[in-house]
Amino acid sequence: MRDDPIELVLIDLLKLDDILACMVARQNMISVMPDQNLFDPSVMEVWDIIKRAMDDVFVVVKEYSQAGLGEIEFRLQDYEVLFYILPDTENALVAIIPALSNKGLIDVEMENARQEINNIRNKQDNERLINA
Amino acid sequence: MTRKWDARDAGREVAREAIQSLKTPPNFVLLFSTIHYDKHGGFDEFLKGVWDVLPEGTPLLGGTVPGFINNFGCYARGATALAVSCPHMDVVMSMGKNTKRNPYKAVKQSADMLQKGFEKSQYQHKFIFNFVSGPEVIKIPGQGYKKVVDSGLISKFILPAYGITQYFLQKGLGREDEIFEKIVEYFPESSMILGTANDDNRGISNYQFYNKSLLTNSMVNLGISTDLEFDVCTTHGMTPSGIDFEITKLSRNGHIIHKINNKPAVQELNRLLKWPKGFLNEKTMTHTILYYPISLRRHGREVPAVLTFILKDSILIPCVIDKGTVSILTVSGKKLVHAMQENLQYCQALKPEFGIVSTCTTILETLGYKINIIKDEISNYFQDKPFIMFLSLGEGTYSPEKDITYANMSFNTAIFGKSKK
Repeated sequence: MRDDPIELVLIDLLKLDDILACMVARQNMISVMPDQNLFDPSVMEVWDIIKRAMDDVFVVVKEYSQAGLGEIEFRLQDYEVLFYILPDTENALVAIIPALSNKGLIDVEMENARQEINNIRNKQDNERLINA
Repeated sequence: MTRKWDARDAGREVAREAIQSLKTPPNFVLLFSTIHYDKHGGFDEFLKGVWDVLPEGTPLLGGTVPGFINNFGCYARGATALAVSCPHMDVVMSMGKNTKRNPYKAVKQSADMLQKGFEKSQYQHKFIFNFVSGPEVIKIPGQGYKKVVDSGLISKFILPAYGITQYFLQKGLGREDEIFEKIVEYFPESSMILGTANDDNRGISNYQFYNKSLLTNSMVNLGISTDLEFDVCTTHGMTPSGIDFEITKLSRNGHIIHKINNKPAVQELNRLLKWPKGFLNEKTMTHTILYYPISLRRHGREVPAVLTFILKDSILIPCVIDKGTVSILTVSGKKLVHAMQENLQYCQALKPEFGIVSTCTTILETLGYKINIIKDEISNYFQDKPFIMFLSLGEGTYSPEKDITYANMSFNTAIFGKSKK
């Protein structure tokens, strides 16, 4: 699955020092996730609790994504988890970053990644329509 | 621009894209990159990639920045370049070394080179682009890189050590404000813009590009003589909060506020802002104090600046200031957008050909990806003409009509074009 274009966007994000882990996910389901070996090992130590908290946040994402919810985030221990909701879906681009990161810079690249993922999804939808 | 990760490939791509639409070789190339190539091949390789493509002898200047905005979007990773080809333009490059140790000597070195170049030009209108190595945080033994030092003992060690590290290690403030004041003294008839090199806002290292050389702790300058019209403008969205105080004890070098209203500076600042004791710490720093810039004074001019380092009871500020009454300012996202609009409104008489804009990294920290609103404003003004806005830590403009405006959290434009009249 290395040639999944969305996975490539995520791998690109992971190369940034402060992105410790990232994925595209929805409630109880991870849609696209890069090889976990690329994640920062420190995140894997707290992954279970972060994953549970993420699932709870996705209840809110599901409820309000259609109402225009754009981003949501929470801080847990020494980490922050950022959710960038993909428009008109219950999916979000999720990134785990250290709590003391320069969030403005990360925010810009998260938004660029969200736009890239959107473009890929739109392109894939169009191709499906044409093939149908 | 490029988003490639490999330094050599990125250098080639950014140069190729910058010059591909030019019909004649460029008069100069401005090149800005984020710090990431340091770990992905290194900046020597990056510059080699650029020179694989760029015509030999092209004046090239720039450096590392936390991020940039151009005609294509806003980015905190990658590189961007602006190549200008204009028949009515002479260009001179200059540089000065050891800016943190001896900024005045660096300015003299650079100014002498600029002066010689300017003398050869037939064009009367002169412009200088100033790009200076920005601040680098001092690594505190046993503590690492910190913006808030709450230990009195360590602060006592740092305060005198600050001058020593500045001189011997060239770690500390960028001193770009002093450099800017000095270069204006050399060229009072020229208009100027100022920006600083930085990394990803950690303040650990930064580089300057000067033709094929990779420099540190240096200033690089681009002098332009042209018959194009140009103008510079600085705006910021800060307004007084109504809270004033008096700086009553300032360090001899004008960089450290020890006492406010005759009380220890940090305690008194907390009281004025109604913040509890200990509220300012490493965790809260970027979410709190950056939103309360203060209006300092320097030679009678207003200098809006952010308070970047806390040393127990003292506050280190990024520029040299004078004692006196100070106002705490506030800023909002809306006011920042308005400040950009106001800036571009000032240049409505010009039909732009290209533009250089420096702005403060803290504006990006404030707006996040909503800085795209600023990008849209600038894009609407420039339409299909190229511009680069780069993020800085200490920026400003100068013109003979408007004098020096040095500020943090500001928008600084240098716009070249033709008069609409």
